[in-house]
Amino acid sequence: MRNRNATAYRFLAPYLLIFSVFWVWPIISSFMISFQATRTVPWRFAPGFNWGRLIGDPAFFNALKNTLLILVIQVPVMIALAMVMAVLLNSPLLKARGLYRFAFFAPVVVGEVAYSAVFRLMFSLDFGIVNKLLNSIGLPKIDWFSNVTPAMALIMIAVTWRWAGYNAIILLAGMQSIPEDVYEAATLDRVSKLKQFFHITLPLLKPVIVFCLVLSIIGTMQLFTEPFLITERGGPGGGTETLGLLLYRQGFRSLNFGYASAVAYTMAALAIAITLVQLWLTREKQ
Amino acid sequence: MATVTLSNVVKRFGAFEVVHGANIDIKDGEFVVFVGPSGCGKSTLLRMIAGLEDISGGEIAIGGKLVNDVEPADRGIAMVFQSYALYPHMSVEQNLSFGLRMTGNPKADTDRRVKRAAEILRISELMDRRPKKLSGGQRQRVAIGRAIVREPQVFLFDEPLSNLDAELRVQMRVEISRLHKELGATMIYVTHDQTEAMTLADRIVVLRAGHIEQIGRPLDLYDDPDNLFVAGFVGSPKMNFIKAQIVGRDAHGVVVELAGQEKTRITQPLAGAAPEAGSKVIVGVRPEHFGSAGEGDTDLVVAIDVVEHLGGTSFLYARTAHGEDVVIQRDAAKVPTTSEVTVSIRKSYLFDEKGLRLR
Ligand SMILES: Nc1ncnc2c1ncn2[C@@H]1O[C@H](COP(=O)(O)OP(=O)(O)OP(=O)(O)O)[C@@H](O)[C@H]1O
Ligand SMILES: [Mg+2]
Repeated sequence: MRNRNATAYRFLAPYLLIFSVFWVWPIISSFMISFQATRTVPWRFAPGFNWGRLIGDPAFFNALKNTLLILVIQVPVMIALAMVMAVLLNSPLLKARGLYRFAFFAPVVVGEVAYSAVFRLMFSLDFGIVNKLLNSIGLPKIDWFSNVTPAMALIMIAVTWRWAGYNAIILLAGMQSIPEDVYEAATLDRVSKLKQFFHITLPLLKPVIVFCLVLSIIGTMQLFTEPFLITERGGPGGGTETLGLLLYRQGFRSLNFGYASAVAYTMAALAIAITLVQLWLTREKQ
Repeated sequence: MATVTLSNVVKRFGAFEVVHGANIDIKDGEFVVFVGPSGCGKSTLLRMIAGLEDISGGEIAIGGKLVNDVEPADRGIAMVFQSYALYPHMSVEQNLSFGLRMTGNPKADTDRRVKRAAEILRISELMDRRPKKLSGGQRQRVAIGRAIVREPQVFLFDEPLSNLDAELRVQMRVEISRLHKELGATMIYVTHDQTEAMTLADRIVVLRAGHIEQIGRPLDLYDDPDNLFVAGFVGSPKMNFIKAQIVGRDAHGVVVELAGQEKTRITQPLAGAAPEAGSKVIVGVRPEHFGSAGEGDTDLVVAIDVVEHLGGTSFLYARTAHGEDVVIQRDAAKVPTTSEVTVSIRKSYLFDEKGLRLR
């Protein structure tokens, strides 16, 4: 028996090696680095240096505020939208279902740089299609990139565009696993389609919805691409800087690895905390 | 309470016709069982009555009122699904009351109906449990309870017992019979199990490939089948079919000779015209209609392959000299010990080549 285990571990060894070096070690290492002052050579152990700075740093609280704001607005809107898309995809009236499923999923696989460039074009002040459309229905142009509120909205729109379809596909899979005869029984019970949705579909889909929420919360906590590429490094003036961006700026531009590690651990801790609260709120009550 | 009438009901899925003009008259308070092999269209018929499936042709009336275009909920029916179709996230109590709560039925009335259904089905102590925590039989009761709560005129059951083990099935069968007596409602019950059909039904509708083969009371189907299919479907073990040939007619009826067995002749009384001599026919003999040598019309020597002892009776699985398999029922005390045995045919049925009964 022990022999067979040894063989198994030998087969696993290449993976375990890579996993330890590139996953486990950085996790441990960055935890330790977060307790070191890395602006001095050599680095020295100084627990208060980064963590002390963190709790008093306006840039950190700005990034935290932006991240949480995006989280609180964008995630629920996106999940609701994904739900609507899933219901439509699930409709027996829909033709060319496969095409829609592909179309909804496509944004996820589009290259990040390409997608960001297209968004910048679409939302550009003078040439963008979005402002043209706004103009054509009599609304004023919006300068999406130089004001904080529109810039934040733009980030949320972009993230929603990219991930709503992905969540819709997951929700759709959940919906399709609800047996048809439960709805038939409800129809015979004279329960309207709308009530069926709220009293049958939604409750039965709860685990899937929670799954989508958790994924989205973790994703948004790490949000980086959109504020980096679309609003140009968290512009205007840090107005869309997220925790991910702050980490990048501290770690790779100022080469302040200690502080960047502290930010990283804060992000992870927040994601875990929010997810736990979420799971606790939606737990199965007996 | 209500009658259910199907006239020339047709169902097509696209170009594929699965029910070819069904005519069934179900009386008020009757227990009718649709029976037939898998895929013959039983569920489709039932779902058309429920309104869950559109009707491609013909008419369905419930309580004398045409319901072709009436919503399922307005047809006065309740249905029990094969898979139970319970709401998994609701307790038993909520499952029973869901429909009434959603449609704004007064609370006192809802409570009264739920309580009564729970009492009838003896599930009062399970009211707080979720379906996941119930046994198959208990789930089935809840599913039936949900139907009772609606106080329908017609109950529809689609193979409600097929997910239960054999013992529970017998028990629930009795319960459903009792329920029928207690409620007096019209019940339509689908099954592919002929034993269930025989024991439950006031009348049985035998279906095959979308056609109604025969409608009749259980014992009528058993004693007087219209055709080879019904004869073979009703009764267990099934009727034996032996190839034969018409040889002529005498004062008592038509004379047939079993294929490959000269001198083994049977005389069948026949009211209608007999097929001409030489025509091929099929003789059907139920296992219990084989007697000891000399008891019947003619004697037949068969070779015994296997003997199954069930206690009081035994079944002999045997072959005729012509190589046809037959099953013979015998009292356990009279099982022969030899490898060959001579039996007589005490009673038989005659079918023409197309499978229609000659009588
Ligand atoms: N939605 C559908 N689309 C196309 N064909 C269908 C559909 N539903 C049923 N059929 C076909 O109609 C025929 C009758 O089906 P039905 O479900 O009524 O059979 P059944 O007698 O209930 O069989 P079982 O005993 O297996 O439940 C089958 O050939 C089946 O393939
Ligand atoms: Mg069926």
